Amino acid sequence: MHRLVLIAMLAAAGQAAAQAPDGKTLFAKNCAACHQVTGAGIPGAFPALRGNAFVQGDAAAVIATVLKGRGGMPAFGATLDDEKIALALSYVRSAWGNQAGAVDAATVQAVRSGSGAAAVTKPQDKGTIIH
Amino acid sequence: MSTTPNDALHPSTAPSRRDFLAKAVAIGGSGFLLASMKAWGMDIASTRDVPPELQGSGKGKTIVILGAGLAGLTAAYEMSKLGYNCKVIEARAFAGGRCQTARSGKVLEELGGEKQVCAFDQGQYINFGPWRIPFNHRSTLHYTSEFGVPLELFNNDNDAAYIYNDNAPGPLAGRRLRQYEVKADMRGYVDELLAKSLKGGAMDQQVTAADRDLLIDYLANEGYLSKKDLRYRGTDGRGFKVNPGAGVAPGPGVPSDPLAFSDLLQSRLGHFYHSVHEFTQQATMLQPVGGMDQIAKGFEKRVGKMIRYQTEVTSVRNLADKVEVHVKDLRTGAASVVSGDFCLCTIPLSVLRQIDTNFSDKFKTALQGAAYAPVCKIGLQMKRRFWEEDHGIYGGHVYTDTKGINLISLPSGNWQGKKGTLLGFYNFGAEAAEISAMSNRERADYALAAGEKIFPGHYRSSFDSAFSVGWHRVKYNLGGWAEWSEEARAQAYPVLVEGEGRTLLAGEHMSHLGGWQAGAIESSWQQIGRIHQRLSAA
Repeated sequence: MHRLVLIAMLAAAGQAAAQAPDGKTLFAKNCAACHQVTGAGIPGAFPALRGNAFVQGDAAAVIATVLKGRGGMPAFGATLDDEKIALALSYVRSAWGNQAGAVDAATVQAVRSGSGAAAVTKPQDKGTIIH
Repeated sequence: MSTTPNDALHPSTAPSRRDFLAKAVAIGGSGFLLASMKAWGMDIASTRDVPPELQGSGKGKTIVILGAGLAGLTAAYEMSKLGYNCKVIEARAFAGGRCQTARSGKVLEELGGEKQVCAFDQGQYINFGPWRIPFNHRSTLHYTSEFGVPLELFNNDNDAAYIYNDNAPGPLAGRRLRQYEVKADMRGYVDELLAKSLKGGAMDQQVTAADRDLLIDYLANEGYLSKKDLRYRGTDGRGFKVNPGAGVAPGPGVPSDPLAFSDLLQSRLGHFYHSVHEFTQQATMLQPVGGMDQIAKGFEKRVGKMIRYQTEVTSVRNLADKVEVHVKDLRTGAASVVSGDFCLCTIPLSVLRQIDTNFSDKFKTALQGAAYAPVCKIGLQMKRRFWEEDHGIYGGHVYTDTKGINLISLPSGNWQGKKGTLLGFYNFGAEAAEISAMSNRERADYALAAGEKIFPGHYRSSFDSAFSVGWHRVKYNLGGWAEWSEEARAQAYPVLVEGEGRTLLAGEHMSHLGGWQAGAIESSWQQIGRIHQRLSAA
């Protein structure tokens, strides 16, 4: 929570914070293509995060889903670091009337190391294309 | 017999096993063959050359085929030949499934996205679904041959194309190199090291004296090493500072200098190639002249009358003696029921698992087993083929590590034409999720910024128009292809391949040729054989 407040203050203070990633921006960039900026998803295709019980439930389960993917959702473990996942999830859990607690990077780190999820991949280590 | 894999392409298939299976057919028919193949641990899904030769007749029996992609089209084409009444239900207004080509006027509207209308010039196109056919996908090539779809070479490997890694560690970061430079130098240096180690006796424990000399000879040949001192000093295959030509100037030209070994190692640029391409990526690759959808159109011409377009499946009911498929006409909103003796469902699992069915819980759970790949592509029409004119790059792929780009693929057709349409990015997973959040215009800008670094001064200024897709946001697909974890492949996949009641599944997702048209076709061949067997036995 502390971190979010800090970022909000910096954002209000001016330009310096425009560079810092915040949860809302991270969500818009990485998640909104499917879940939509409103968090409403698209029925029959992408689940709504707004009012979603799973999203507002056990943080470790939500973190694991983001790290490892599920169904049509890709794994973000290799592309987003702990800090970014924490910011994005804290946003998702508190936006659109959602009322779950923030997630911190240490918790993401713990889930990452405990779940066998991939580490953040350096560009030169990316896999090859096969289709 | 038709199910025998082609010998030359499958040398590992032991003749004795083939002979046994041929005998199995002679003795017990195809049912015995299937059982025998299972007993041998073989699945009939191994790459096949031609459709199954089905005996008997399907007259008086109805097959409801869900989806007019390549799996559904294949089934309609083959089963109708046998006399079956095929009713194909297709949600879109056209056939082909993912086998689509964007050319002038093509409309695509992603879920949550804007409506795109392709504004390419006449003759320009991008295959935004499948785009290349490996020589060993004989099932796909069976139909291009049968339908007379003209093919041309698809250049999948161009040594002269660039590799450009912005994030390469070390001094080669952001340096544009020809792939032949990296290949020649990496191999030359590695061969030199190994050859010298052998010569100095460092590997006498590993190789006999005779083998050592043979290996040194191999390495010297492979890496263009000097026979005298086994050194790699470069080779003409890595290009020239000044190309050879006429007379005395340029005459023999000026050789180029190899990159530093340590820089190359640090950069990891050598990772872009392997000893040999994966089986599905080897030369020769092919493409239909004028666009991949020529294959879909070939089928459509022959089975189009059997297709009910713009008709959505709302429910599938397996019953004791028939299958009932509830559908909605998207033009009128009218609901109706289509019945048949059997159903072949080719709807992607990503979509099927959200449709109401009376499948068992076990089957429904298995439907959840596959993940679906987020995939984005973008076609960029360029005013001028600067990659050919200025850089001598005719087809193939420029590789880059720029996030969300991976490659820029140059067209393998219409060589030296006025304009050209290239593939500006091809990305997957989390990167595809990110790119697909952009508008088409933003995606184009993103692709152009990356290309401009590699072709400065020409990439952005040559740009005409773009057409892009994020397959995970395309209704009725929700992903590029099915992806199976080891666990899902072991547990869910066999349940789904088996089918349930009077419904069998087919498509690339029901194969080990995932994401390939051959997977859809061969899966369909396999399942129609089973349906025919079931209905013939009844």
